[in-house]
Amino acid sequence: MRIGVLWNKLADPKNIPRLFAFSLGIILIIGFIVPMALNPDQIYVRPDPQEQIDEGLALAPYDRGGEPLKEAGFINPQYPENAASLGMITGYMSPLAEWISSISPYFGTSIYSSPGGLVDEILYYTRGFDTILESSILMMSFIIASWLSINYTMNRKNDADEIKKDMKKAVNDSVHVAREVKANDAKARSKQLRRDN
Amino acid sequence: MDFVTLGGNLLGTIPLGDIVLYVNPFNLFLFAVLLGFTALIAVSKPETQVEAAKFNTLDNAQVKVDEKEFRQRRFLSVICGIASAGAMITGDLFNFTLFMALVGILNIGIVSAVKQTSVLNSAFNYGLIAMMCSLPLFGGASIILASTGTLSLAVLSQMHASPMVVFGAILMLIGILGESGVAPFFASKAEMFRTPGSPFIVIIHLSSLFIIVRAVEILLLVLW
Repeated sequence: MRIGVLWNKLADPKNIPRLFAFSLGIILIIGFIVPMALNPDQIYVRPDPQEQIDEGLALAPYDRGGEPLKEAGFINPQYPENAASLGMITGYMSPLAEWISSISPYFGTSIYSSPGGLVDEILYYTRGFDTILESSILMMSFIIASWLSINYTMNRKNDADEIKKDMKKAVNDSVHVAREVKANDAKARSKQLRRDN
Repeated sequence: MDFVTLGGNLLGTIPLGDIVLYVNPFNLFLFAVLLGFTALIAVSKPETQVEAAKFNTLDNAQVKVDEKEFRQRRFLSVICGIASAGAMITGDLFNFTLFMALVGILNIGIVSAVKQTSVLNSAFNYGLIAMMCSLPLFGGASIILASTGTLSLAVLSQMHASPMVVFGAILMLIGILGESGVAPFFASKAEMFRTPGSPFIVIIHLSSLFIIVRAVEILLLVLW
């Protein structure tokens, strides 16, 4: 294939997502042969899940320790000096949460658990700016979607070119019908004439 | 590579918890230019386009931006300018990917307010790419986090790059290339510009340009 043909294919917006998906797929396949090594020295570290489950803690795997407003839990941020009172409320649980954790050993894995769930200090304190950005992405997509649904920009029914095309089709159809009616008319008339004679 | 080698002396930091924005002359210049341009867009009026194909006919071929569309597009453009300005001074890898995703969705939004079907078609194709890009963008950042244990650029710039970090950086680069619509994925984005409302169209272009420059700096910081 000549390279000009290839460039022409690249210039069609329809082909671009396919090309992108293809190249992404190739890169991801190459990723299988890249040696993977996890660095154990992580920020926001927490104990291994099985460790806390074996100890029989109800909050496993999210137990970071600490007592609300008295003793800080263990969070290990990148810059501890920027978050002076970090970990102070990570151990907080509502009365309902406390009751559930007293009767169920699976409290920590449920969505309503406070430690790591409702009052997540990593999300709302150390990385609060990220959370703001995430929700603004969501807000922008809602703004765009609601504008589109109210104004309906891809309105093919009122598009001038579409109307022209439809009009041409309608004219053709009516011409066709008129011709057929005329032919039928002539046939009926000739029949009548034959009967009269 | 260090901040100082790339962007000049560190003028100061803005600590927001673990996300520390840093300011050096290079980043400050990009930030200021983008903010200035955003201010210009916020006060300017959109141009009116005359379609070339209709020059030889007698009907009115001007394509105008009506009031409602103008307001929506101006709002989204200003947010897009602010988001790309934020990406210029952020000092956190994940924060940068979030800014990138925000700019991508705003680019679609600015174009989706027009009423030309061909433009909307290419915006749809660009949207498909932007959706696919969330995988390499955030995947790359998380691979870099897993292999180095940190997201802060100040710490990452001091670290030695392992093969896994290089792979994560390549993934991020693919995500940024697709999201900002540069070659060879340009066609869907170039078609989007064929519509009136010039200052808003230009912010799409400008934000991708600036983000590419910033992405090169970030990848150099991570890899060297």
